[in-house]
Amino acid sequence: MSPFLFWIFAGLMLVFGAGVVLNRNPVASALSLVVSFLGLAALFMSLDAYFIGIIQVLVYAGAVMVLFLFIIMLLDLRAEKLRKINWLASAGGIAVAVALSVQILYVIGNFRFSQQPFPPLARSTVDDVHHVGSLLFENYNLPFQIIGVLVLVATIGVVVLSKRELR
Amino acid sequence: MYIELLKLASPETVVVVTALVVLALGLANERTAGLCSGVAAAGLLFAVAAVLMLPQQATLFHGMLVITPLTSLFKIICLVLAFFTVILARADLSSRNRGEYLALVLLATIGLMLLVGSEELLMIFIGLELTGLSLYVMAGFDKTDVRSAEAGLKYFLFGSTASAFTLFGISFIYGMTGTTALAAIGQKLTTAPVQPLLFVGIVMTLIGFAFKIAAAPFHLWAPDTYQGAPVPSAAFIASGSKVASFVVLGKIVLVGFGPAQGSAAWHAMVAGWAPVLAALAALSILIGNLVALAQTNVRRLLAYSAVAHAGYTLLGLVAGGREGFSATLFYTTVYAFTLVGAFGVVALVRRETGGDDLKNFSGLSSRSPLLAGCMSIFMLSLAGLPPLAGFFGKFYLFSAALRAVDNNGLLWLVAIALFGSLISLYYYLMVLKVIFVDEKSSSTTQPLNPSTSADFLQEISLTVLAAVVLFLGVMPGTLVARIIAAVQ
Amino acid sequence: MITLGDYLIVSGLLFTIGFAGVMLRRNIIIIFMCLELMLNAANLSLVAFSRFRVDAGLPNYNAQVFVFFIITVAAAEVAVGLAIIVALFRARQTTHVEDIASLKF
Repeated sequence: MSPFLFWIFAGLMLVFGAGVVLNRNPVASALSLVVSFLGLAALFMSLDAYFIGIIQVLVYAGAVMVLFLFIIMLLDLRAEKLRKINWLASAGGIAVAVALSVQILYVIGNFRFSQQPFPPLARSTVDDVHHVGSLLFENYNLPFQIIGVLVLVATIGVVVLSKRELR
Repeated sequence: MYIELLKLASPETVVVVTALVVLALGLANERTAGLCSGVAAAGLLFAVAAVLMLPQQATLFHGMLVITPLTSLFKIICLVLAFFTVILARADLSSRNRGEYLALVLLATIGLMLLVGSEELLMIFIGLELTGLSLYVMAGFDKTDVRSAEAGLKYFLFGSTASAFTLFGISFIYGMTGTTALAAIGQKLTTAPVQPLLFVGIVMTLIGFAFKIAAAPFHLWAPDTYQGAPVPSAAFIASGSKVASFVVLGKIVLVGFGPAQGSAAWHAMVAGWAPVLAALAALSILIGNLVALAQTNVRRLLAYSAVAHAGYTLLGLVAGGREGFSATLFYTTVYAFTLVGAFGVVALVRRETGGDDLKNFSGLSSRSPLLAGCMSIFMLSLAGLPPLAGFFGKFYLFSAALRAVDNNGLLWLVAIALFGSLISLYYYLMVLKVIFVDEKSSSTTQPLNPSTSADFLQEISLTVLAAVVLFLGVMPGTLVARIIAAVQ
Repeated sequence: MITLGDYLIVSGLLFTIGFAGVMLRRNIIIIFMCLELMLNAANLSLVAFSRFRVDAGLPNYNAQVFVFFIITVAAAEVAVGLAIIVALFRARQTTHVEDIASLKF
């Protein structure tokens, strides 16, 4: 992928990611989240991970964002009123976040492989869906089945928690 | 391969099937609540039998499912802890939604068993999430109580942040080593020097686990969750989840990151994970014990003491090696059984007096000598007095830490731990003073409800737990020998 | 020329943005969205490493399978989290962390 497109999509992702944090209205935050994830999906595709990119769009734009919007509408949340900002806590939070990012960026910047280009791929005749799928049903068979149990837990949990208690 | 998977994962399969049966029974009819508990308990015992029939050694899918004497032993321990939780839930929850609750306990147990029995980071992540999701729901299960929903929310927020950290750490570890199997990571680390990026990955993974075991400064969820969640949920979070987390943490740092241990010795600090864990341990011991002094609610007191105990238990991992790991495993097992017992007493007191503040315990010895006796065994064991199991556990941990590094390099940490134990004596004895000395004040008096107070099954299980704690203190060798033989 | 380092830096920035949001925001729903950002930062670095560790002309698909599992788990986690919010909102009529103070130090 050309550097130009990479920085466009990365910038899109980061700017709208920051939008999630900065927006006062939950609906606007949810929509920024989706744009940010569209940028992320484009980055996945730039890394030749087409299947993961498509899954990302389907799951996040199709399911997770709808869930968020549904809950926001269900609870009828409006834009937040301006609250008194707790400056001490905010300064602490910003300081921790900045320290974390400086540290991560410093380490990545000095990282041995960081300046190497990506190795070229052989021209493959098989889709990556095929590769991911066969791994899922062979080497990753056990976690794949456990994920089923996990989804069962989520289902039970959601039903029990959001059911209205009859008195 | 699939047949073999079914054979080696038979305990997990048994528990899943039991969970589904319990769920169906619970949906069928509300009067079947008693039957649900029975089926769940029977299924757990059946799973213990299935664990006993497993082969001695087996590995599937590059370490995703590992069977060794160690994993079998701890699978049984997790199942037994779940069994006691089921007994606790039988009496403590209303019969509404009992089936769902028990199914969640069983499914969380599967997560624990997978955690214990895996040496692969993807599987460990999924095990953590499976346990976590079930426990979040269990913590927020009681919808008639606002505090329960808040406990669930806090546990959820901290738990998901922790798993995001773990995941980011794992992504770096994968990137630097090209594998997610612990054994292969260990091999890679011995051949190549540890890159800074890999070290960032290791530290982030450890931060995630520090949340799970409630080590300071990542313990903020623990007091609210222990106090607000339904008692059986709190007991399971404090016992089962903790045991499994320590087993996995030990495996990760000793098998996976072994070569990057570094040293936490006072005079010769070497960068690695050992100094990180040592700092967490020291902070947990100090914060946990000091804040516990100020508590007036027994469940919050147990929560802060849990923070302190997480600190003691980390000592064994800082020491490293076979001896340190065995000491950690022994201590966390003893601690889990003690805590399930203590929460059992809290549940009974809560049902009789309607609360779990310290003042609700006043005069317990005259009301119910059996409960008072059990509680004193649990408290004295937590305080680490001989001849109870907690004393031997601490002794074993401290001696392992002292012997691990030349020149008593870990003496500073052991000194902090001893100081913390001394402080802790005060608040544990405080609880006992309230139980045995204080008269029941008239303001808290509510009519005893004789029909609920006589719950034989629960009293029997508490007696059994107290007997276990006493037995492991008098004859610790029975369990220690097994653990040492199992840890290679 | 775009290198592995560029992708990792972008992923690190995304993770910090998410973490800053978790620390700074008081609205629980927005905190959940920030958690999603953190999880997806991990996904980005996993996919970048998968593309970097080419094996016989193919990306290392193990990491992509890992990402597949993470996306599933994240969706389940969001569902449970939102259900907890609904339960809390029924009892409390708020989605603000600061309003939840019945359990304190």
